[in-house]
Amino acid sequence: MAASNSVLGLYDTPNAGADAMDGLKSAGFELGTFDVLTGTPYPEGAFGEHVPQHRLFRFPFFGAMVGITLAILFTAGTQLAYPVITGGKPILAVFAMLIIAYELTMLGAVVATVVGIIFESRLPNLNLGAYDTRITEGYIGVVVECEDDRLEEARGVLQTAGALEIKTA
Amino acid sequence: MQQRRILDEFTVNHELLRGNLATPKWWLPTVLGLLVVVLFGFTLMGIMFNRGLGVTGLSRPVYWGLFITTFVFWVGISHAGIMISAILRLTQAEWRRPVTRAAELLTVFSLLTALFFPLIHAGRPWRIFYWITPYDFARGIFPNARSPLVWDPFAIGTYLTGSTLFLYVALLPDLGVLRDRTTGWKRSFYTVASLGWRGNPRQWRLQTVAGILLSALMLPIFVSVHSIVSWDFAVTPAVEGWHSTVFAPYFVVGAVHSGVSAVVTMMALMRWLWGWDNYIRPEHFDALARLLIVVACAWLALTFAELIFGVYSLEAPERALREMQMFEWPWNLLFIIFFLTGFAIPVPLWFFKRVRNNIAMMFWTSILVNIGMWLERFLIIVPGLSRKQPFVFTWDSYQVSPLEWGLLLWSFAWVMMLMLLFSKFFPLIPLFETKESQVFTTDVQIGRVTMPAVIRELD
Amino acid sequence: MATTSLITDAPDHRPSNIESTALLAGDGRTVAGTGLKRFMWLLAALSVIGFVGIVFRFINDDGRQDWGFYAATLAWMLTIFGGAPMVAIAPALAKADWVRPVARIASLGAIVTAIIALLMIPLLFKFPALTQFSEVLGDDVRRRSIWFDSPSYAPHFWNVLILLTLALVGIAMAYVMAIPDFAAIRDHGTGWKQRWGKKLARGFYGRPQQWDWLKMRIGITGALYFAMLLYTNFTFSLDFAVSLVPGWKDSLFPFYHTISTFQAGIAFTIIGVWAARRWGGMNKYVGHEQMWSLGKFMLATTLLWFYFFYSSFIVFWYGRSDSDSATIKLLVSGPYIYLFWTVFFLVFIIPWWIMIWNKVRDSVWGPPIAAFIILFGLFLDRIRIYVASWSAVPDDLELATTSILQDMPNTMWPDVFDVFIMVGLPALGLLSILLVTRLVPLVSLWEVQQSRLITKPVRFLRSHVQLVGKPD
Repeated sequence: MAASNSVLGLYDTPNAGADAMDGLKSAGFELGTFDVLTGTPYPEGAFGEHVPQHRLFRFPFFGAMVGITLAILFTAGTQLAYPVITGGKPILAVFAMLIIAYELTMLGAVVATVVGIIFESRLPNLNLGAYDTRITEGYIGVVVECEDDRLEEARGVLQTAGALEIKTA
Repeated sequence: MQQRRILDEFTVNHELLRGNLATPKWWLPTVLGLLVVVLFGFTLMGIMFNRGLGVTGLSRPVYWGLFITTFVFWVGISHAGIMISAILRLTQAEWRRPVTRAAELLTVFSLLTALFFPLIHAGRPWRIFYWITPYDFARGIFPNARSPLVWDPFAIGTYLTGSTLFLYVALLPDLGVLRDRTTGWKRSFYTVASLGWRGNPRQWRLQTVAGILLSALMLPIFVSVHSIVSWDFAVTPAVEGWHSTVFAPYFVVGAVHSGVSAVVTMMALMRWLWGWDNYIRPEHFDALARLLIVVACAWLALTFAELIFGVYSLEAPERALREMQMFEWPWNLLFIIFFLTGFAIPVPLWFFKRVRNNIAMMFWTSILVNIGMWLERFLIIVPGLSRKQPFVFTWDSYQVSPLEWGLLLWSFAWVMMLMLLFSKFFPLIPLFETKESQVFTTDVQIGRVTMPAVIRELD
Repeated sequence: MATTSLITDAPDHRPSNIESTALLAGDGRTVAGTGLKRFMWLLAALSVIGFVGIVFRFINDDGRQDWGFYAATLAWMLTIFGGAPMVAIAPALAKADWVRPVARIASLGAIVTAIIALLMIPLLFKFPALTQFSEVLGDDVRRRSIWFDSPSYAPHFWNVLILLTLALVGIAMAYVMAIPDFAAIRDHGTGWKQRWGKKLARGFYGRPQQWDWLKMRIGITGALYFAMLLYTNFTFSLDFAVSLVPGWKDSLFPFYHTISTFQAGIAFTIIGVWAARRWGGMNKYVGHEQMWSLGKFMLATTLLWFYFFYSSFIVFWYGRSDSDSATIKLLVSGPYIYLFWTVFFLVFIIPWWIMIWNKVRDSVWGPPIAAFIILFGLFLDRIRIYVASWSAVPDDLELATTSILQDMPNTMWPDVFDVFIMVGLPALGLLSILLVTRLVPLVSLWEVQQSRLITKPVRFLRSHVQLVGKPD
């Protein structure tokens, strides 16, 4: 079931925003169909919102695996392909290879983590939907995704909590 | 100490975007002035490529001189960002907030600058590919993965990539703010750059987790980078004074000393230039100075170990080198200046609260530290090389040529110009961290006393 | 929007200050159960065995190499018990509020440093003088050490003095930190404890000047302890290990030694927290928060152990000079190679793998497991270092005349007296701490009470958070 409407209620205080979230919950809107938009991070659960789950911690492990594989290929492969003894070190000088392996492992982990952050944040998504630029100025936005038949009800709940403005997209 | 100001988000946006939404009067002339120096530096590089490295003072046996010193210096400065961002984030130091962005930025730009020096020092920089990329199958020669000179690009490349991504991820919410405050092509640019940031709980949650996770990942990289740079020297038994096991932590702690001092210098400039008195307050300088005292004392302990072990072996050449480094002209003068500026003047001053809270004093003492730390690298690299050793046929000292001084000047102008260009398009003080700090700090009343308090989320 | 208006009160389930006082300072103290008493008798018996070991070590003494395990045991005790008080200093240095309940457990390690200083005296008889070859080789020939031109007795005399100073500063710190608790025992305890509480509280009644005085002294003794611990590690590791081996020149080694001191100190505190919960009835005071935070630092020091080891190793391995190679062979790849790999896994790989998981760090069982493994691994590490060093030069003349270790010693194995010593002396250390806890509460009462005062659970809009005051 694709949500067809996105309704935004704009509030000037966090308390009003939290009331709107409470209202939506008691009106029977499903968790995950409504969300709060803020210009600043609040403590988790401050608006009684749905606590998002993520799998970010898997990304660095994957990246690290890729990184260390590349590092072993680079260090071992190049030295084995054309073995030239330098400085009396063995061709496969593990303690020297370890350094490059370490760096590429960490590089892989960092790059994968950043990809993970963007992916898990559900970005990029240039379509902002119902949004108001005042949110980044301290106002609290409460946004509901709903079908046409619940549109009026959602607007009503948002209005009851004291919305300054209600936008639909 | 109660210096916290209660500011609403509108005021924070208005004040911190001062440099982005309007152009301060001093900005353009300053950038143009720096551009002149930068172009002059590039001209010097061109002359050097055209005429060869003979135009520098480098000559056998001193093949590493000002360029490598400056390379180590800028890699050292780059340790500012992760020290401030990662360590202070992991230890939940509230006062880190206004400085994180500028410190990370300093990391990125100083690393970019550091990279120039080994490249131009190679004389024919375009041939660097023979050295680090495995492509020349026909000649059967590959990069030597066992050489510290190949470890370096990997370490610095990783640190630069990681720091840039770290900087970008933390910039996303602020790009969203800029998108909402601009119009026209700027708005389009910030819309794309912010990737469509909306500020829902998921995005904020990920932003917080990302800060911690990336900090934890960047910290081991941060430690490894200067360690690997130090091994360029330490694994070489042929040069007296270099083959020392303490070099890795010694370089890292020295880098933190110089990097955090550079952050202090930069914070003072930011406060003076943009008038951000509400955000960069004496208490921040106070906290950084306390941190610097600890770092500087650790650095002194490592310096002491380095020197005492120079003499410990009781071998004549090593003792002669130490004698030259500390007591022979002109090294003795440099050594005295190094010790006075790197430790003996600034650190005792920081013990006084009045100095720690005096921004002008902090500005000047932090500059002193970096004079000392540049000299420290110079004194490690050059005297060791200039002594006669096995397989060295001449014994000569090293005179820095005007061209090399010119390129040292270029590096400072280049970093400052990049910082100022960045400040035109992106906020130097993280808006969202400032706003978060407003939410997460408050006052608590205990009896008749009001004390600052922070809010900690429960697991 | 000021945050104050978004905060409302929330129910507080922590034990009240009255309840804490009754449990920690009054008659309700549970520490000395019968099980504990039996355990202490066992430790006492083991301590006696340790002394028997020392006596027989003297009787069956074939030279310096026989004392390697004794030196390793002392080094290990210094590593653990000397390092633990560093955890107690953290609130003063870094305003870390979570440390408060465990500060006492950590600070008590200092008591053992006095015992280590005394136990070091027999070792000094086995220690070569700086100028013992002067008669043969001339007055200016001295063995390599950090005591360049000092009198011949310098390492012997100064090492004892340095350790005694460390012990003095540490005990002073632990005592100062316990004064308000002694006052509470005076006011709420009974019998001999009350009498001792009265004597040791020294007229502490909690006047503002007395608290200022207390905080100042904790700060001073803490900073002094930190400096002395660094210095002790520096001299101890150089005199009792590095300078006994010709050609071992490792400017990083004292710092390697220090970092494992921090690692062991944190591990000891974690085990202390676990024991306080398991047998001391302290579940309400110490638990997840301490394990989580101490666990993070233990993970960091575990990584640093590898960093410091590798930073030395790569320089020697790459340098490949004769003395570099001989040093690596003695300490890593030669007679103690199996021991080295065991250490590598116990001190680094296994605890690292255990501690990177958030769920493990957040548990009350994970960090103690890692801590036990680390402490055992560090014991083997000290054996690797000190036994190798003490066995490196059977002929002392070499110390003065060569700069490279010529003859690689064989692997040394402990005999029965070494085993007595290795078991008995740490048991004595632990026993001394347990004896002190008969009087001093295992969890610092006044710090728990202060912590309760400056932190409180509150509601922030719809979420539950904690408000933490930051006093100057």
